[in-house]
Amino acid sequence: MRVIIFSWEYPPRIVGQLAEYVSNLAVQLAKNNVETYVVTYHDYLTGPSDEAGGVKTFRVTNPVRTHVGVLTWVLTLNQEVERAAANIYYRANRQVDLIDVYDWHFIPAAVTLKKALNIPFVYSLESLEDHRSPSVNSPFKMAIKSVEWTGLYEAKMVSTESNWMRDEVFRIYKVPLEKVKVVLPDAANWIKNVLGLYETTIRGRNFK
Amino acid sequence: MTPELSVMMLSWEFPPRIIGGISPHIYYLSRSLGKSGVKVYVVTCDFPGAPSHEIIDGVEVYRIDSYKNPSPDFATWVYLMNVNMQREAAALVNSLDRKVNVFHAHDWLVATAGIGLKHVFRKPLLATMHSTEVGRRDGIHSDYEKMIHETEAWLTYEAWKVICCSDYMVSHVRWAFGLPLDKLVMISNGVNAETYTKVEREDLSMFRSKFALPEEKIVLFVGRLVYEKGAHVLVNAAPKVLEKADAKFIIVGNGYMKEQLSSLVKSMGLTHKVLFTGFVDDETLMKLQKCADVSVVPSLFEPFGIVALEAMAAKSPVVVSDTGGLSEIVEHDVTGVKVYTNNPDSLAWGITKVLLDDVYAGRIKTNAYRKVQEKYDWNKIAQKTKAAYEAVSNQYSKSFWA
Repeated sequence: MRVIIFSWEYPPRIVGQLAEYVSNLAVQLAKNNVETYVVTYHDYLTGPSDEAGGVKTFRVTNPVRTHVGVLTWVLTLNQEVERAAANIYYRANRQVDLIDVYDWHFIPAAVTLKKALNIPFVYSLESLEDHRSPSVNSPFKMAIKSVEWTGLYEAKMVSTESNWMRDEVFRIYKVPLEKVKVVLPDAANWIKNVLGLYETTIRGRNFK
Repeated sequence: MTPELSVMMLSWEFPPRIIGGISPHIYYLSRSLGKSGVKVYVVTCDFPGAPSHEIIDGVEVYRIDSYKNPSPDFATWVYLMNVNMQREAAALVNSLDRKVNVFHAHDWLVATAGIGLKHVFRKPLLATMHSTEVGRRDGIHSDYEKMIHETEAWLTYEAWKVICCSDYMVSHVRWAFGLPLDKLVMISNGVNAETYTKVEREDLSMFRSKFALPEEKIVLFVGRLVYEKGAHVLVNAAPKVLEKADAKFIIVGNGYMKEQLSSLVKSMGLTHKVLFTGFVDDETLMKLQKCADVSVVPSLFEPFGIVALEAMAAKSPVVVSDTGGLSEIVEHDVTGVKVYTNNPDSLAWGITKVLLDDVYAGRIKTNAYRKVQEKYDWNKIAQKTKAAYEAVSNQYSKSFWA
């Protein structure tokens, strides 16, 4: 199995808890015979890939240096994420089984790659905009929510870290529950559950 | 017969969505490319009442969901719209078994979609720079403008070739983004003179009387009411013109300067002489251009100057500021009058010259019409554009992406 993980934080760039989780996941996947790539953002460590613990990491930066907000920064950075992923795809003889996207930031790239190259994606939810900034109804928030909605709509599978979050996804976005899998991060069989989720995602898929 | 070459055109406007000059540009370019055997797909923003897919003269037009929630600002909307455009265009190319040879993006408004499609499909991207942020704003003054400027730079970087509509724009774009000269291609903009023959034989005296008194000459301005189009220069020139000739100044278009301009007119006591029509439909516009005794293009920055060309095609004498693409279109005293840029006195002189000398006005408009037919014909422009696509496809076929 060949998997690309999208995460806007990844060591050595640590913003919250996601970086450590994703890097642990990548190493565990590699140990379980998954060919694992990570596409992430870093301003100074960009360039060719590095490879450690069986994980190939590509770090991209934003060609547009000046921004008026997080949204414009994220939306332009997506093009570079997309480019890096497309390069992985073409070098791998056009065979990438799935993309696992952490949070909303790189959803636009995943959606284009799905539409263009038929690569399904998993939307792994850390949090939702409604929880991050409750009782705000600005155009800014609506835009992020629209990206979340698109991601949830286009994703083959959605994963959450708790039953509560699964119910929230259903409550806020009306995502059918059979599409949402709970993967508890502290469970003993955690990596098996992740692999199971990936198997479900790529089931029935054949390469053209 | 399967066409050899197929292009996907990305544009934020296409009729009936008309905001500026890009919309008619894409319409005529696509149609003429189609006639010369290129299969054209246009992917553009949706518009109320316009179908999401239609075929116009062989050109396949797809209108995408252009993100209709309120946006924090215009640029953020542009990037959000590009997410949708890219998503729908990607699905379309995929459904066509990737039978698209080149992507052609028009302006930074579709930059991210163009760049993304290039890389996911590994097909060459061409960009037409109709304008630049540094030109529109006469410099870069804020982070917002800098962001747009850098997006434009990125688009020209990713493009295989950059098309500009005038020699002026070639040198401007080269300066603004530091591009190598061999990356730039000059292909002029065009105008469809035939469309004006429709209103040619009509009696327009009734129509005219809705806008001006019989003894008033019509001075026409058509353009967005934004700083770089220089409508304020025309308003400031009006009193000088009125000293010598009775005239009605008709200002067609909308923009952020509209209120400012109308209060300027009020403070000058000229409300009875200056008429703001707002945006008008195509037919009204063509009739106004036919009725105009002089058409004025007082731009401060003008990459090409399509309005001047349209006036010439409508057989209306033109007075233009001697700047950018306008300098190339108009030959002074032969096909029009050139005046100093951002100079109301000089502009008033040019307008007065045309209004007071019928023989002179008749001569320049006849010469101008001939020039339009010779040089700015869309079929010739489509041939050049097709040649650019072929050159790029040829180079591409030898690259490791092919």
